[in-house]
Amino acid sequence: MSLANRRIWVLINHLCLALLLISFYFGKETGMTAVAIGGLALAVIVGIISFILVHISSGLWKLTHSKTDKLDERQILITHEALRLSYGIFAIISLVVLLALALLEGKYNITLIVIFAALLYLAHTLPSSILAWTEKEV
Amino acid sequence: MKSRKLYNRISVLREERGISRKELAEKIGVNFQTVGYLEREEYNPSLDLAFRIGEFFELPIEMIFSTSPMKPLSQEILEQKKRMGG
Repeated sequence: MSLANRRIWVLINHLCLALLLISFYFGKETGMTAVAIGGLALAVIVGIISFILVHISSGLWKLTHSKTDKLDERQILITHEALRLSYGIFAIISLVVLLALALLEGKYNITLIVIFAALLYLAHTLPSSILAWTEKEV
Repeated sequence: MKSRKLYNRISVLREERGISRKELAEKIGVNFQTVGYLEREEYNPSLDLAFRIGEFFELPIEMIFSTSPMKPLSQEILEQKKRMGG
């Protein structure tokens, strides 16, 4: 598969996840209408197909889930770089989802702001905390 | 820090020895795709891997890797001989 096609399938795969969550949320809130069930079914079917194409057939799932001693130095380098980027993206998405859910549920209060700030702090300090814990000299 | 591009003679040496990328990969302990990346000069090896490649081809590292585009091996040997007064 070409890089351009692979990127399209990556986008489709992640859009399916968003569609799944949105369909589930609105299905739960407003009742499982045909639109919600259709959205869920579409997300699951296309999601599975795109998951197999992007992650399984390409061998990338195995690559990113292998232990370091099973990989060569280039594979370690690219997976570490991918994990570094993923960490930042995952932290942002998690916080945005948390905030969005709280707003949708009408639970926007001081507790949420404190949790949000604590998680934001944790996301930024965790890498340097790990280095502070593991490295002899920094 | 962005590292410099490294040029190499891996593909020439490998073809000269008549071995496949997969065979070379097994000998130097990397995935065969990594050999492709090395040959296309899209990946700079670590010092350890560069030494392993040098040991496999029985050549000093500087005969395989360079920070400037590499001349044909025959030309380089000729120039070395001239420098040594041979």
